[in-house]
This record gives sequence, C-alpha cells and structure tokens, in this order.
Amino acid sequence: MLSTQDTAIIPHEWYNVVPDLPRQLPPPVDRDEKNSSIQLLNRILPKTILKQEFTFQRYTKIPEEVQEIYAQIGRPTPLFRANGLEKALDYKGKILVKYEGATITGSHKINTAIPQAFYTRDEGSTGVVTETGAGQWGTATTVAASMAGITSKIFMVKVSFNQKPLRKNIMELYGGEIVPSPSTETEFGRQVLAKAPDHPGTLGIAISEAVEYALEKDLKYMLGSVFNSVLTHQSVIGLESEKQLEILGEEPDVMIGCVGGGSNFGGFVFPLMKKFKEAKIFASTASEVPKFTKGEYKYDYVDTAKILPSIKMYTLGSDFVPEKIYAGGLRYHGAAPSISMLVNSGKIKSSDVTESSVIDALKLFARSQGIVAAPESGHAIATAIEYARANGNSRETILVNVSGHGLLDMSIFQR
Amino acid sequence: MTPLILYFTADYPSTEILKSFLGAVDPDVVKYVEIGIPESNPLYDGPIIKATHSVALKNYTPSHLLEYTSILNGKGIPTYALSYYEKFSKQGISFAEFLKDDGFRGVIVPDLLTDYSEESDRIIPEIEETFNFIPFFNPATPDGLIISVSSMTRSWIYYGLQPSTGIDMPFDLEEVSKRILDLLPGREINFGFGIRTTAQIREVLDLGSSGVAIGSLLVEYLKNRDLEGFRKFQVSVREAPLNAD
Ligand SMILES: Cc1ncc(COP(=O)(O)O)c(C=O)c1O
Repeated sequence: MLSTQDTAIIPHEWYNVVPDLPRQLPPPVDRDEKNSSIQLLNRILPKTILKQEFTFQRYTKIPEEVQEIYAQIGRPTPLFRANGLEKALDYKGKILVKYEGATITGSHKINTAIPQAFYTRDEGSTGVVTETGAGQWGTATTVAASMAGITSKIFMVKVSFNQKPLRKNIMELYGGEIVPSPSTETEFGRQVLAKAPDHPGTLGIAISEAVEYALEKDLKYMLGSVFNSVLTHQSVIGLESEKQLEILGEEPDVMIGCVGGGSNFGGFVFPLMKKFKEAKIFASTASEVPKFTKGEYKYDYVDTAKILPSIKMYTLGSDFVPEKIYAGGLRYHGAAPSISMLVNSGKIKSSDVTESSVIDALKLFARSQGIVAAPESGHAIATAIEYARANGNSRETILVNVSGHGLLDMSIFQR
Repeated sequence: MTPLILYFTADYPSTEILKSFLGAVDPDVVKYVEIGIPESNPLYDGPIIKATHSVALKNYTPSHLLEYTSILNGKGIPTYALSYYEKFSKQGISFAEFLKDDGFRGVIVPDLLTDYSEESDRIIPEIEETFNFIPFFNPATPDGLIISVSSMTRSWIYYGLQPSTGIDMPFDLEEVSKRILDLLPGREINFGFGIRTTAQIREVLDLGSSGVAIGSLLVEYLKNRDLEGFRKFQVSVREAPLNAD
C-alpha cells in the first residue's frame, strides 16, 4: 500500500536554496576592524557546519548515521489532509498539514540538532551549548547531545523558563544542564542583570551568553536557526513533503509556515518552491514581533552582545525586547537572510498574527483535528484559517507546516 | 608566465612605497594587477584589506592612479580597478570613463550584484561599452546570476572562494571550484580570497582555475616595506612547479 510514512521517503540529501535564489545572498560581514567575528566562528562551530555554511552546495549527502536516526525520531513526519478543519471552516478547497510535532521532541528542531551534535562528537569536542526560547530547541539539543554521547548546556530565556517549568524538567531528563538567561554565568549576562535585575531575557541575549560560554569553556555552539546550514538541514521537511504530495496526488496553491529565525519555514518552503513555482507563500509572524512589516532590511547583528557577525536581514534591532508572548520561538529580532531577501523581493508575503487569534486558531485546530499545536505553529494555522475564510470558494489547496506540538505550552490557554 | 594576480590598495602604505612595489612586479609571474580604490566602508573586504583602506584614504588622490597604471602598463601587465559602486554612484560620474582614462583595462565591482542587483542589467552593458566589466562571483552567487551576468561580459571572471578576503574558513574547495567551472565552460576564471601558500596556489590551478589572485598575503610585505621579501615571494611562486597552462 502507498503510505506517506514509509521510511523510504526520508531524503538522502539536504537541499540548500542559495544557488537557486534570484539574487546574490549578501555575505556575513565584520563590523570591527581588529577582531573578525567571522573568523571567530571557527572556534565555536564544527568544521563540517562551517563547510556547509560557506560552500553553498545545492545538495549535501546526509550522513548514514543521521539518516538512521531520522527514522528513529519519527521521520518521515506525517503529511495529511485536515478534513476536520476544512469542515469546521466550511472550506471548499483542501487544507493539507505537514506535522513536525510528530517527532520525539515535538518539533522540527531535532532535524538540525542531530547532525550538529554528531559533527561535534566526530570532531572530538566534549559538549555543546546553546540558547532556547520556547524550549523546543533546547529540548532537541539535549536529546541530540545525549544520543551523540556529549554534554549539553542550555541558556533558556527567563520569561519562558518561568512560564514553562516542565521544559526544564524534560531537558534535564534528557541529560542537559539548564540556566535561565540573563544569568550570572557569563560576563554579558551579568552586565544585563546589573542594568535590569528583572530583565525577562531575549533570544538575542541568550545567544550572546551561549556563544560567550562556548568560547570560554571551549565547547561547540549549536545553531538553532537563522544560519543557512540550519535551513539546509531543515530541508528534510520540504523534501519529504514533495514526495508525500506526489503520493497523495496533490499540488499546493498556497504554502504557509511560521517564522522565528526562519528554519522551519525555509526548510519547508524552499524545496517545494522549486517545483511549485506559482504557489503563493505566506510567512506568519507574531504581531508583537513584526519583523517583516515594521523591521528594516539591513545589516544587523545576530546576537545582542554583537559577538557574532552581521547579516543582512529584516530586523527590529539586535537590542529589541519583545513583549512576553507565549510563542517564545517567534521572539527573535531578525530572520534568515535567504527568507529576508525573498520577502524583500515580494516572492514571500508576510502575515502578522495577534496572540488572541493564535489562541482561537489553536483551539479550533485542537477541536477539529485533535492536535494541540505549538503556539509558534499556531501562527501558521491562524494565517491558513484567515486565508481559507477569505477565499472560501476558491478551491485552492493550502499546505501548512505545523512546526511543533504544544503539549508543554498549555499555559497559553490559562489566561 | 605564472598566472598570478596581485591586489594592492591604492596609496597603501604610501604612494612612494606602492610605486616601488609595482616597479618590482615581475611580468614573468604576474598576469594582472588589481588596484583597489580606497573606500571608507569596504564592506565585503576582510579585516586585513579593510585596515589598508583606512590608511590609504589618508594618502589617496585620484591623480596617483595614472602613475600606478603607467608603471604596470609599461611592463605590459593589464591593470584593473577594484571599486565599490556605492562610491561612484554617489559622485554621479561615469566611473568607467574616469577609470579608463586612468589607464585601467577594466573594473571589478564587489558590491554591484549584492547591493545593486536591480540595476546591474543596465550598469554592466554600460561599463562594457567603455572597457571590461570583470564579474565578481562567489559560492553564494546563484547559478542563474552567474550565467546571465557572464553572458553580458567578454573578459575574465573573478571568483572569490570565501565569503570575505583574508579569512580562513573551512570550505570544500573542490566543490566550489567545480560548480563555477561547470557553469562557465571555456571562460577564463581566476580564483581569489583566502589563498595563502604556494601549495594552495598549485591546488587551485590544478582544479582548473586560470589564475590565482593574492591580496591579504601581500599586506605584510607592504606594511614592513619589505621589497626584498616581495621579490622573493614572486621567485618562490615562479620556481614552484605550477603546471597550469
Ligand atoms: C515549534 C516551533 N516552531 C517554530 C519556531 C521558530 O523557529 P524557526 O523560525 O527557526 O523555525 C520555534 C522556535 O523555537 C518552535 O519551537
């Protein structure tokens, strides 16, 4: 029987969009004449990641070991028709869902955590350090590190740390060490706390702390999003979807995903964009973090401490402090350069979604499909619902990437 | 002749020192010279070249350019200007005419494709009417752009192997070389960025590059006014068994 969940659907190669972009991707740049922040990446990233970041190969072979683990962590993830949601909306077209919440850690983040942790181990490092917002990235990192037999340390944005105590438990269960950020463990964290003892934390600050810690302790830093190599690893989402659509005999007219740093969105949309050239593409972001509509397309720092290079992207400023929304994964000030370029060129449309419409969308999705989606993914679902409502009779096929489940984010419904 | 291309920033470290270096350029080793026009914000250059720009700006006068090209043209070495478009677009002059009058054979414009991509289809043919536009590509340049821009030009192509000059990044040399060579069969493609040793020069030539551009590596000789060291470097390249044609 044809199934969209056969392990044969797991791709053997990752896809990098850069050689297929319409314009040249602006390179990362240094702002400081004396200390090169690009050079610094050599100290904190595994060589293989740097190679992938700067070689811009269209296809890169996925190591056998990583392919095997992809099968163990739930790949291929399901792609199904959301009949319940279609009915609830009385939508005449089709709504298809690619569901990354079905991986063992409950989101797409594991897709890149696995290769990064294994490259780190292969190159002889003993541990990894990273930041996490909502906790999904931290969770994926702790599992991947344990599978690779190395240690993991996670700086978790304080507001999420307080909102989601279960996240800490699960990351510890997986063998990680978790600290709320800003913390007293780094110089930068201490500086922030000295100025604002109650600082809620931001992803920009947590990245700065993780990078500083990696440099200090000679550990490898895990890239959660934004970087090109991460989007490349995440291409498994779109590559699987391509085969699954073929099995189902479907072609999307509209593709929708949510954007924090852009990894689930890029991983989902880029491989499909090649084939479905005419499809409309929407990037959902939080109204509280309106990077594409209120941000500027310019060179800006990846992190608040300005340790990492500047990249050209839509940004609200590397010192932007967003409201304490529940979708911690969308609180990042910028977005991947490749996605930013395509938003700038008009190929990708953006859609800002308010927290209350996200909550409504999550409820409707839970009641019609039975899936509790992550608050971040709720943005994509809300955009899809809005599109379906506005185009009720269009009979278009809408494909939504639901990047994670929200079973550990239930506090969003308690207000 | 050894297919070496040398990069110097105009007026670095001083007009006189640079002139003495250009006087020592060996036409048996060097096929082209690139002269960078000093710039207050050389965005896409690495730290070593950036530092030369800030020194050079203090000494720079456009009239020096002709002095440099005269020395090189006297040796029969074609000389190219490297200039950011931003600078000239602000001045509102025809920069191709200006540079041609100063004795340059063509121009390399590192920010054109990244920052002026909408205008490049208009600007490149305009420049090509005056002299040679040398496309500057790197591994992040999309295939489509490599093909369309190359087709608007007649001369050689500059391929930067790394995202920035003078920075050592692990990258897959074979992979990045193969991609451009496959896209542009038959074209003269010279590689640069991040090449430091004679062994690397040979490796790049073996992979099929037509020549090798060296920039950051020369800064140490210039900074120390080490003309003898620069001469020896050229000799070492000449004597290394380079087997490119
Ligand atoms: C479930 C989920 N979706 C989306 C995101 C946003 O990140 P990205 O844009 O890199 O996919 C996050 C980040 O934490 C997340 O946890």
